[in-house]
Amino acid sequence: MLAVTFIEDVLRGVLQGLPPGAVYGLIAIGFVLAYKTSGVFNLAFGAQAYISAGLYFQARNEWGWSNLAAFVLAVVIVAPAIGLILERLIFRHLPPGSALAKLVIAIGLSVALPNLFELVVGFEPVAGRTPEGLLNGGATVFYDPTGLYAFSRDELTALTIAIVSGLALAALFRFTPIGLQMRAVVESPRMTELNGIRADRVSAFSWALSSAFAGLAGVLIAPRFNTLAAPDFFNLVVVAVAAAAIGKLVSIPRAVAGGLGLGVLIALIDTFLPRLSEAQEWIEPIQDNVTPAVPFIVLFALVTLWPALRRSQEQSDPLAGVDPPPPVPAASVRTPFLTILTAVFGVCFFLVVGVVVVTRADVSWLFLITQAVIMSTIYLSVTVLTGFAGQISLCQGAFAAIGGFTVFQLADRFGASVLVAAVVGGVIAATVSALLALPLVRLGRVWVAIATLAFAAFFDAVVVKLPFVGGGGTSLLQGTRVPRPVLGPLDFANDRLFLGLAIVVFLACAYTVTAIRSGTVGRTLAALRGSEVASESIGISPTRARVTAFAVSGFLAGLGGAMLSIQQENVNYASNFAPFAALFWLVLIVSLGARTVEGAAYSGASFSLMDPLIFKGALLGWILRSEERIPGIFPISPKWRFVLFGLTTITFAKHPEGLVEDGKRKAHARVERWRARVRERRQDAEVTA
Amino acid sequence: MTAVLDTRGVTKTFAGVQALSDVSLLVEPGERVGLIGPNGAGKTTFFNCVLGVLRAERGQVLLDGEDVSALPVHERARRGIGRTFQRIELFGESTVRDHLLIAERVRRGDGRLWRDLLGRGRPSADEVAACDRVLEQLGLAELAEEPIEHLSLGQGRLVEVGRALMTRPRLLLLDEPSSGLDRRETADLAATLRAVQQAQGFAILLVEHDVELVANFTSRSYVLDFGTLIAEGPTDEVLASSLVREAYLGPGGGPG
Ligand SMILES: Nc1ncnc2c1ncn2[C@@H]1O[C@H](COP(=O)(O)OP(=O)(O)OP(=O)(O)O)[C@@H](O)[C@H]1O
Ligand SMILES: [Mg+2]
Repeated sequence: MLAVTFIEDVLRGVLQGLPPGAVYGLIAIGFVLAYKTSGVFNLAFGAQAYISAGLYFQARNEWGWSNLAAFVLAVVIVAPAIGLILERLIFRHLPPGSALAKLVIAIGLSVALPNLFELVVGFEPVAGRTPEGLLNGGATVFYDPTGLYAFSRDELTALTIAIVSGLALAALFRFTPIGLQMRAVVESPRMTELNGIRADRVSAFSWALSSAFAGLAGVLIAPRFNTLAAPDFFNLVVVAVAAAAIGKLVSIPRAVAGGLGLGVLIALIDTFLPRLSEAQEWIEPIQDNVTPAVPFIVLFALVTLWPALRRSQEQSDPLAGVDPPPPVPAASVRTPFLTILTAVFGVCFFLVVGVVVVTRADVSWLFLITQAVIMSTIYLSVTVLTGFAGQISLCQGAFAAIGGFTVFQLADRFGASVLVAAVVGGVIAATVSALLALPLVRLGRVWVAIATLAFAAFFDAVVVKLPFVGGGGTSLLQGTRVPRPVLGPLDFANDRLFLGLAIVVFLACAYTVTAIRSGTVGRTLAALRGSEVASESIGISPTRARVTAFAVSGFLAGLGGAMLSIQQENVNYASNFAPFAALFWLVLIVSLGARTVEGAAYSGASFSLMDPLIFKGALLGWILRSEERIPGIFPISPKWRFVLFGLTTITFAKHPEGLVEDGKRKAHARVERWRARVRERRQDAEVTA
Repeated sequence: MTAVLDTRGVTKTFAGVQALSDVSLLVEPGERVGLIGPNGAGKTTFFNCVLGVLRAERGQVLLDGEDVSALPVHERARRGIGRTFQRIELFGESTVRDHLLIAERVRRGDGRLWRDLLGRGRPSADEVAACDRVLEQLGLAELAEEPIEHLSLGQGRLVEVGRALMTRPRLLLLDEPSSGLDRRETADLAATLRAVQQAQGFAILLVEHDVELVANFTSRSYVLDFGTLIAEGPTDEVLASSLVREAYLGPGGGPG
């Protein structure tokens, strides 16, 4: 009797898991297609799925279109068009082998595209407005063909469409010329080029196709979310990456199987975990959050524990070795002159800001400037990791959150000194970061990014919910409060005083970072960035160097996160530190300059001040000396910020050092040329005299 | 006297291709030994197995009589193997001197994070002096401040040698140092290497296609063909043997 119920439960779990699993499979198909035909790890499929879902929703509900017309617009027309545009305008121009640049650009697009869509279409996510599915009554009509599990109409539609489109794809591959060519490209892009197949046509087609799959998946999965919002769709793509990873990123059938498997696994855990938690109390608080985190755990485990996955690309392509080496970057050694110039400029800039703050800043400006300084501190953690060590980490938000939560726990709940708690937060974040780094440091850079993304998603889904981290149930009511510190006579509840503290912390961190850059650790990391095998051949241990970089980075992020929480007197995890929010950090700093302290400072300033200063028109108002004369296009939507910097990541392929550094170098070259001309002229004059 | 390098039955396959089978080879201290063979013979693969960049399936690598087969690359490097690369491997965005400085710092082994944090991580005067001595020996003194991207291929190869020398190797593995150089540059490089080697007394294992260089530079040679050692002995005898000619030119290929 017991056995029968058990088997029934298992079967029920399987049935329940199939519809979402099929949708994961759909995105995974797109992911594998794009990865194999153009080497792009396209995390932006989440954004593309979001756009299709949002467009469908908008056309149907706001514009009054029929379901079918809305579907055709969102999935059949717009989704492939976006894929085509991305391929034509961006990805086909990147040289083969620039996997990291492609990934960074995909991250930039993940930030830019949803905002661009919302701006263009005028779509606004409305909390609690659950999106409808393809058929009316999708969530209310049920079918129960097996007597075990009642499929909603939405689920059944999703499952059917996913199966049909999977079969259609198989037929396409088998029977059509372009399908055969695609299959050849998927097997070996270089081989096909030698055989005279026009790989670029195939690549364009597969981008259109894979984007259509992403769009389809977006429309099908939307009814499962309470609110249509971009971050959920970003999580969705992480699930798809996990599914694709099960297929070693190369096999479409196995990616589909992976998607289905994940869907079923989630459903089974959902079925059985509550029973387990009846016996094991500690599971209860996280029970609801373990299931969504399953794909992240699977992904992290696959990346770190399955060497075949990392090697899949090289091994499956017999001609991988013939890729040309990446282009040599232009000479980029900084001259002392350039350093002095930057320092002078920096000092002047901060003096001006300082004068403004002391004389005229009101409370809200003070808040924003303080935030800019603190964000710059957090961004220094990216400088160390991405700029110095060349590693892309997508979990800096988690490290910063660890700092914030530590202050919340130690200071608010146990009354410890706030400043001590902030440092402890940094140390804990450093420890977590170093431990996380251990299994990652010998992976390729793209895999480090994926593994940190999986960790960030896991942290977001599970760790934050633990009572000893995010406070559990009580914090839902009271928030995660954080007090301001008091140091002898100095009460940092005073905002001006706190700004002073933030600046001191930033300067100390900036000093640390520059000392590291010019010291052994920085030189070691620079060598590793240049050539890992040559570094090892002179006795450098890559593991030790990178774990050090991760630890330092974790400390800076943790300390900065603690400071941010202290400033806001609340951790505000979701708006400050959630994985999707933290994507923008990377996008910003990679765009502006990941190698220098100035890059971090500009990124912090852009994060906090760009919107009020430029987009809201305040700066223009000051220049025009009157608020009335600000032209009507102001205030510009702050979303343009995400679009702007998201799209700027495209320059990463050419200028991995960032725009600021690149601009400075160009300016410097101009100054040098000018100085040379002056010298020449003087010599000429001497000769004639 | 224990050999500096003693490999025993080193075997490596790539997806069915036997790149090295049962390669056993000795290099005595202070010796200059050649390792020659046609393209694809497995010479670079052998270097990679000696240093641990690739893990051999079978066989042992002994350095000064100590089995290092289980050690990672950087540990083997610290025990006295220096190396240059066939496809040049330099650190971008830094100067010539930087290349040597980092090697010197690693050799001294005092690069701790806290020293950096105290602002004591910058190169010290005697580190710079040590690097400049080597740069002087290699004729690179004038290029010390030059960004690495500005160098010619020949100069780049010298920087690789200099970087390897900073680790004070007991054994230097040179992978086709003359490729991309003209005859004069090659002769200069050989003279420089010989001078430095005589001053410091390390051993050299030289992989080279330039037969003249091998003949002039090494006293003993090994010949590798399809991953197997087919000849060894004094370099002039080896180069004269018919087996070697066959390996290079194919069966029936006469002297040419
Ligand atoms: N990473 C690798 N993966 C697969 N096969 C490899 C790899 N490295 C080398 N090989 C193969 O192993 C064999 C030996 O290559 P190796 O580079 O050692 O030759 P070599 O003697 O150095 O040749 P050359 O004189 O051209 O430098 C070749 O057949 C090569 O194709
Ligand atoms: Mg070779």
